[in-house]
Amino acid sequence: MDKMKDIEWAKINKDVLGSLESPRMIFWVVLAVCSLLVAAGVAAEAYQYNEGLGVALMNRPHFWQLYISNFIFWIGMSHSGTLLSAVLLLTNADWRKPIYRFAEAMTLFSILTAAFFPVIHLGRVWNLYWVMPYPNERTIWPNFRSPLLWDASAIFTYATSSALFLYIGMIPDLAICRDNAKGWRKKLYSMLSLGWMGRAREWLAFRKTYVLMGCFLVPLAVSVHSIVASDFAMSIMPDWHITSFPPYFVAGALYSGCAAIITLFVMLRYIFKFEEYMTVDIMDKIAKLTFAIAMVWNFLNFSEYASIWYSNDMYEKEVLIQKLIGPYWPVVWGMLLCSTVAPFAMAFEKFRQNMWAMFVLSIIIQLGMWLERFQIVSPPLASNHEPWTWAVVWPGTVQMTITAASFGWFTMLFLIFCKVFPSVSMYEVKELVFHHRRVSARSEIEDLDKEKEEALRAQEGVA
Amino acid sequence: MRKKNLKFLFALYEDFDRARDAVAELKILDLKETAVEDIELYSPIEHPEVEEILGEIHQPIQRFTFFGAITGAICAFLLVAAAAQSMFTVQPQGGKAVIPIPADLVITYEGTILFGVWITLLGFFVYSGIPRRLTRLYSRKVSEDQIGIEVQVTPEHADAVRSTLEKSGALEIREV
Amino acid sequence: MALKRMLENWSDFRKDDYYDDTPYMWGMAIDLNNCIGCGACVTACYAENNLPVVGKEHYSRGHAMHWMRIERYWDDPDGNTDVDIAGKPDIPFDGHHDNSNDPDAVTFPERGAHYIPMMCQQCNHAPCEPVCPVAATYHSPDGLNTQVYNRCVGSRYCGNNCPYKVRYFNFFNFWEDLPHPLEMQLNPDLSVRDKGVMEKCTFCVQRQRAAKDAAEDAGHPDYVEDGAVQTACQQGCPTQAIAFGNLRDPNSEVSKLWREHQVKLNHYEQEKDEDIRGYRVLEDLNIEPSVMYMDRVRDTEA
Repeated sequence: MDKMKDIEWAKINKDVLGSLESPRMIFWVVLAVCSLLVAAGVAAEAYQYNEGLGVALMNRPHFWQLYISNFIFWIGMSHSGTLLSAVLLLTNADWRKPIYRFAEAMTLFSILTAAFFPVIHLGRVWNLYWVMPYPNERTIWPNFRSPLLWDASAIFTYATSSALFLYIGMIPDLAICRDNAKGWRKKLYSMLSLGWMGRAREWLAFRKTYVLMGCFLVPLAVSVHSIVASDFAMSIMPDWHITSFPPYFVAGALYSGCAAIITLFVMLRYIFKFEEYMTVDIMDKIAKLTFAIAMVWNFLNFSEYASIWYSNDMYEKEVLIQKLIGPYWPVVWGMLLCSTVAPFAMAFEKFRQNMWAMFVLSIIIQLGMWLERFQIVSPPLASNHEPWTWAVVWPGTVQMTITAASFGWFTMLFLIFCKVFPSVSMYEVKELVFHHRRVSARSEIEDLDKEKEEALRAQEGVA
Repeated sequence: MRKKNLKFLFALYEDFDRARDAVAELKILDLKETAVEDIELYSPIEHPEVEEILGEIHQPIQRFTFFGAITGAICAFLLVAAAAQSMFTVQPQGGKAVIPIPADLVITYEGTILFGVWITLLGFFVYSGIPRRLTRLYSRKVSEDQIGIEVQVTPEHADAVRSTLEKSGALEIREV
Repeated sequence: MALKRMLENWSDFRKDDYYDDTPYMWGMAIDLNNCIGCGACVTACYAENNLPVVGKEHYSRGHAMHWMRIERYWDDPDGNTDVDIAGKPDIPFDGHHDNSNDPDAVTFPERGAHYIPMMCQQCNHAPCEPVCPVAATYHSPDGLNTQVYNRCVGSRYCGNNCPYKVRYFNFFNFWEDLPHPLEMQLNPDLSVRDKGVMEKCTFCVQRQRAAKDAAEDAGHPDYVEDGAVQTACQQGCPTQAIAFGNLRDPNSEVSKLWREHQVKLNHYEQEKDEDIRGYRVLEDLNIEPSVMYMDRVRDTEA
């Protein structure tokens, strides 16, 4: 297996700083495509803003559709980055070190992408600020009973905390960049690195703060998707009002997030030539983790089906039947195929250690999880309590354009981040190498001791 | 803190073990002549054992976290409870209480974490001494792969300290 | 100070039914035996409440704005050819021939139509209320489920959470489509709604307001006589299937009907004698609707 080798520290600096300068050509191609998608999305939103939400082809009873499912999708994707990084930090898992930086950046940017959707979704976007609690002369406040307000507070907390977590973890690396950069980059990094010099008290305070923040981020990340699940679970709609939704959402979030980490892992490894840092060994570990989470998600999914069937509640059972054989069957079966069947490929070691196979699989899984979010939102609305209003609606051009734009927006932000900031944590890779060296030095000494003993014994034997 | 009449010496070492030896030597020197006012260690990675050499560094950041989290919980609960009843007209909704505890707890939870994180960060800035300007002696080698030792000495002992640093294998010595 | 007021009234703010002792609780009773599904109530509602007529295209996309609608359900969706109406031969409708002028032909087979006029049920435990992020919908002391158009930002959560799906969203600026002289026929007692705003049946709150003002002028400010408020749908109904009034007034017509049909507030399962027709739609969700329906009785053996 391709383990991380002993790398000279100066070379680590050179390699990672090199990623800020000369990516492969494909970087610019992807960036251009993404900008085009974003431009199309802005046009679609402008059209919708002027005409009214009807152009998105939502209706009654489909008051919510793709905007909300995209919102869940992006919030879900944000979960693996910070949560896994924090969990692996608290459990001292070494293999986190080369990958956590881009995973956390992924978190931040998918939150920034997700944050657009409730806004785009609003009927009167121009009154968005009414959702915020600010003192005003009319003493009108937002309604904190609403799960949407819980969402807002959870996402605000999550976005700021994970941005800070990402930033704090990056300060020593920004100092490295500062010491090597020129021009505008020098100014930027000098400002951001806050005069970090690697003094002992800085390092100690840094580690303490980092672990304390990690302790907050684990329960926070779990709460965020539970609260997003509350948007549905707190409602009265059949098949939304489900007790197991919060854990189901959290598992689904971790699942799609891990898949996203795999996708970006392979992309970065190729684009920025990080083969020495992002090793096959690490991919193997992420794949195993993803497989485990996939099984948790599957369990929760099927236990939901089973409990609905067993409860025999007429409304919920109707929705379940409609999901499986009704008009939305391609979505539901597509999800089951992509997210339930496909991950079993990861049970095989050969598959786990093949970068491009994992890349394709991770995209399939994400497609499945995207369909999952669609089938959470739409089919229950299509067969609600009131049969007279039953209707099937598929998202139209405006919604699809904005969805595509969100993928472009995310990739664009992510690529720009990787170009401006070191996407592999240099100081932590150095720590990793340092500890490897220690361990191997120790084992060398032990080996020598053993040889000595054997020699002694041999001598005794001869004597 | 900084007295005008102090001298600063900055030595670079190849690895942490040599730097540790150098600090030990300085300590021995200090016992004899009380030459060294303060030692600061610069490193490219974290060395948790640094406290064994430099002495304990007191940084109670977790207290910031604790009180930050409690403040957050109280503020968030007061915000939502007070907002619910201070509407221009009290708004009962859905047959539920005007101040619903289960709903308010969710916001309280988030407020706890939000304040906890922010105030922990405040603690970080207080105890780490950043943001600050770079010292004049700072070398970019430190952010690459070498360990730096900064020693504050009284001018009359500067030479003794300097030779100690050199003896313990310094790659480079700067002086201000 | 907000905090002082909160602590002083803490027990008040913690109790579940805040408006237990107010003088009004508007309610309705609809007799489905009388309902012939003519749609006069729908038309009356359009006229009274400035509802936009969206047109065929928007209607087919589900953008209709009828606060009141007649839902039609069939006993036998495909038609039952065994039912022989007045001895006339049953000619199945084939869609090509217009048989309406043939006195001997029955154009359509008996399919057992049921009509339910469906409008906002003004639930006392309304699921739409607590989910609004900006508190644009709340419960009024009259037991109404109010919608504050000015405050609405259009998150549409209320629409999703309404089990009857009787909340209507302005997907477009429909009032702009009104051709010139027609804006003169709008009801001046209430506004037209802009795009991005949720709206729904108000139990003709503008008429309630007028009746309360009249009562005040007549010298009894806290008492509106039964029958002084008529909703537009009630007024328009040719068979008088709809009764409307104050449920807190034990002598009002609607209170009498509720008692007679043994439907009680604050119960999600009613204890009823046999052959009692009263029920509330989706009562088992414990949402306390304020509209009682009286089931249609059919003579199935004729």
